[in-house]
Amino acid sequence: MTFGRRLRSRIWRGSVEDEVDAELGFHVEMRARELEARGMSPVDAHDAAVRRFGDIERVNATCRSIGKQRDRGMRRTEYLTELTQDLTFAARQLFHHPGFTIVALLTLALGIGATAAIFSAVQAVVLRPLPVPEPSRILAVYTAFPQGRGNVAAGNYVDGIEPVSSFAATTAIRYSSFNVADTAEAERIIGARVTAGFFDVFGVAPALGRVFTKDEDRPGAPNVVVLSHRLWARRFGGTPAVLGSQVRLGGQPYEVIGVMPQAFDFTAQTEELWVPMAFTAERRAMHDEHQYQVYARLAGGATPERALAEVRRNAEGIRARFPKEAAELDFAVATVMEEMIGEYRRRLFTLLGAVGLVLLIACGNIANLLLARATARSGELAIRAALGAGRWRIIRQLLTESLLLAVLAGAAGIALASWGVKALTAAAPPGVPRLEQASINPLVLTFTALVAVVCAIVFGLAPAVRAARTDVQSVLKEGGRGTSGAAMKDRLRTAVIVGELALALVLLIGAALLIRSGIALERVSPGFDPSHVLAARISLPGTDYQDPERVLQTFEQVVSAAAAVPGVSSASLTSQVPMGPGGNGNGLIPEGKAFDLRNSTQSRLRIVTPGYFETMGIAVVRGRALTAEDRRGSLKVMVVSESLARALFADADPIGRRVACCEPGPDGKTPDFKTVVGVAADTRWRGPAEPPSPEFYLPAAQIPAVAWDWIQRTLYVTVRTTRDPSTVINPLRSAVGPIVPGVPLFDMRTMEQRIGASLQTARFNTLLLTILGGLGVVLAVVGIYGVIAYFVTRRTREIGVRVALGATRRDVIALVVRQALWPVGLGIGAGVLASLVATRLLRNQLFGVGPTDPITFVIVAVAMTLVALLASFIPALRAAGSDPTSALRSQ
Amino acid sequence: MPSRSDASGMLHGTLDALILKTLTWGVRHGYGIARWLEEATEDAVPIEEGSLYPALYRLERRGLIEAEWGVSELGRKAKFYRITPKGRRQLAADTEEWTRFSAAVSKVLIPSGA
Repeated sequence: MTFGRRLRSRIWRGSVEDEVDAELGFHVEMRARELEARGMSPVDAHDAAVRRFGDIERVNATCRSIGKQRDRGMRRTEYLTELTQDLTFAARQLFHHPGFTIVALLTLALGIGATAAIFSAVQAVVLRPLPVPEPSRILAVYTAFPQGRGNVAAGNYVDGIEPVSSFAATTAIRYSSFNVADTAEAERIIGARVTAGFFDVFGVAPALGRVFTKDEDRPGAPNVVVLSHRLWARRFGGTPAVLGSQVRLGGQPYEVIGVMPQAFDFTAQTEELWVPMAFTAERRAMHDEHQYQVYARLAGGATPERALAEVRRNAEGIRARFPKEAAELDFAVATVMEEMIGEYRRRLFTLLGAVGLVLLIACGNIANLLLARATARSGELAIRAALGAGRWRIIRQLLTESLLLAVLAGAAGIALASWGVKALTAAAPPGVPRLEQASINPLVLTFTALVAVVCAIVFGLAPAVRAARTDVQSVLKEGGRGTSGAAMKDRLRTAVIVGELALALVLLIGAALLIRSGIALERVSPGFDPSHVLAARISLPGTDYQDPERVLQTFEQVVSAAAAVPGVSSASLTSQVPMGPGGNGNGLIPEGKAFDLRNSTQSRLRIVTPGYFETMGIAVVRGRALTAEDRRGSLKVMVVSESLARALFADADPIGRRVACCEPGPDGKTPDFKTVVGVAADTRWRGPAEPPSPEFYLPAAQIPAVAWDWIQRTLYVTVRTTRDPSTVINPLRSAVGPIVPGVPLFDMRTMEQRIGASLQTARFNTLLLTILGGLGVVLAVVGIYGVIAYFVTRRTREIGVRVALGATRRDVIALVVRQALWPVGLGIGAGVLASLVATRLLRNQLFGVGPTDPITFVIVAVAMTLVALLASFIPALRAAGSDPTSALRSQ
Repeated sequence: MPSRSDASGMLHGTLDALILKTLTWGVRHGYGIARWLEEATEDAVPIEEGSLYPALYRLERRGLIEAEWGVSELGRKAKFYRITPKGRRQLAADTEEWTRFSAAVSKVLIPSGA
């Protein structure tokens, strides 16, 4: 575009209409004058001129419309030209100040990258809907216990949930692991027994073959199995030929009838095969064994509220019909996403908030850098303003610079984030649902771009507006030295520092609370000695091991083989190790109380062999441990935990007392009694963060035959070793293997690994928040240093005068540090107030320390103040060391 | 006064070329261009005066000419047009096109060796 054309658009400020009118009018007037000069009368001349012109109305309209198009095009070109100019200028500015550019880019790229990485985790885990039709219409139905939600008994599912009209489909699920044996190596696979409604509830059709029907979900129907895509691809070579073939599950042949699509593998941890539940008539009558997870799909038009009302009404009916087994039965519902994501929603959003705070602090630092630069550039900007650049034009140019910076940082941030996502998924504790699917996808890219633009506005707007407001004349008069007087009391810059400190303090207090929780958790005694203990599970298939005597004998052979392994000092079996999944519970009633559910104490059952207390290092505080003499035929005994003893007998001596439990007595009506022979220390079997709850131990040799079915003939082999337990893994496998051919030893881990896994999520969160807190503090301290150093540079002359007039080093240091006192004090104060609110988000993750723990608050606040003042001390020292003569000559 | 049919359809391209040519001799306002066209073509090319202006606006939009406001010979404010480098290139192309066209037409209409 040439100068003339642009000038025209500047000078002609009128509308296109005026322009056309004036131009055509001029023509007619000129023609009329000419005709007049040839001798016509003025009136005739005018008429003739108009006539000669033709249809002036039409010409006028055509010109106006073309003129408007012309102006639109011109404005667009002009805008693009200016943008190109601004971008070129911005790029040149960044290139000519490599120090500033590198610092700003690094800071921002780190902040944006971290934010993008965490956001991709949030998106993968929390925001993404389940890959099923209308996931919001799938509900999980629970039994509402006083302690919380739990699984549902078969009878209550059949009577209370299946017939509900608000549900289009319902399903009961029981996860269990299967020994899979076919041509390939025997493997332990997590699968699920599900009722036929399962596939309707989730609304997903098989990718191959079919799913099972209601008729196949009956006892005695032929065995069929549906495979997950994952299992099919891994074990069956992903070939359609698998349909119709036989697979041995737990020793029995099953026909493969279908394969589900890949998208149905919600997470890497979900089950890998489905077999029909086939409830027996006996099961359908059970109202007090809460073993099944229940899901339902809402019927068209039904609401979760209506469904809940219906199931609760049914619960009322069941209570009335089975006053003993279902005395306090009630149901609760939740959406399937709530059920699956649960606590991770809050944790991940807390993390996203924390990383957002770090990014804000980073923006604060860059805003301060830009403010300092804007002051240095005030001369240049004043000249531009004097040459006619409007205020908006200058703001636009400065914002373009910020935007360019943010976009470059955003691009670098994406690169960092793609690395960060990999690191995050690799380092995260197992069990975070769907985290492994986190990636830099279009949504994450869009979010990142948005974050970059918001950043540019956050750190760029204030400096730009202020620069544009600068009084041109005063700046030019000062010879480009900037407004030194105003810079001293720079409120804006101080406010930025106050904000940064407050945000950093919030992060640091959060991290400190988590660290203190971690320390408290490590210090908790779990009630057993986890060092040098190895545990692995064995599950005997029901087909080969129907005889309870044979099961017991086999397990006794296993334990003696394990005890003979070199390096093993003690070996035993247990139906459940601390931190282990699942497990069984029973209601216990002490002798002398009525057999009423209300008199029972719920307690966890552990079926063990005599050496268990020694192997696991659980202290027997009263009476005796179980011994080899506690066999079938001798007195039926039990060992109770301390908390169970208190619950059953209060302060009385429990030894020798009898407790009803677990099986009908000889008369078939009253329950069987066991005599308490010992009291064992409480264990924190759900993990160090959970308080102990009642437990009781029965000798494996005395349990009723039916109990083997309760625990599905599955026990843990536990061994205490004299050397590193990991060196015993292979000898243990080869010692036990020959006793149970074809049955794998699985879930082999040390007790320390099991505790570690239960603490892993907490440790991971603590680690991340500590890193973010540290990053926030470093950024905030750099920010304070920068601003104080800037103040010192601006006041070099004044300090020189003071020194020349006799001020000592101490006076100068005090002068500078005093400059920092206000913002630091305000920032810490604001940070403490904000933390009082923000740390509530962490409440569920804290252990042994409150969310507003005063000690943590004081220590962190004091430490932060000291570090902040230290940061201002360095420029103060430099100021004190400067030579007054050169200081006075400066500027 | 000779009757002037609206020849804009047939002579559209011709009018553009003539305007561009006019402006190669210097800056002119719309009326000036109209007068020059009358004299140069000796009224042989019948142009309705009004149709000149849409042509000018169109040329301006296409960036072949540019306009600025100035003061006319008689002290009146007027819009002056100037040819742009792009306009000159267009004129060269148009001239060549016209030469080829008229040569072809001449060959048909005027028998050689007559």
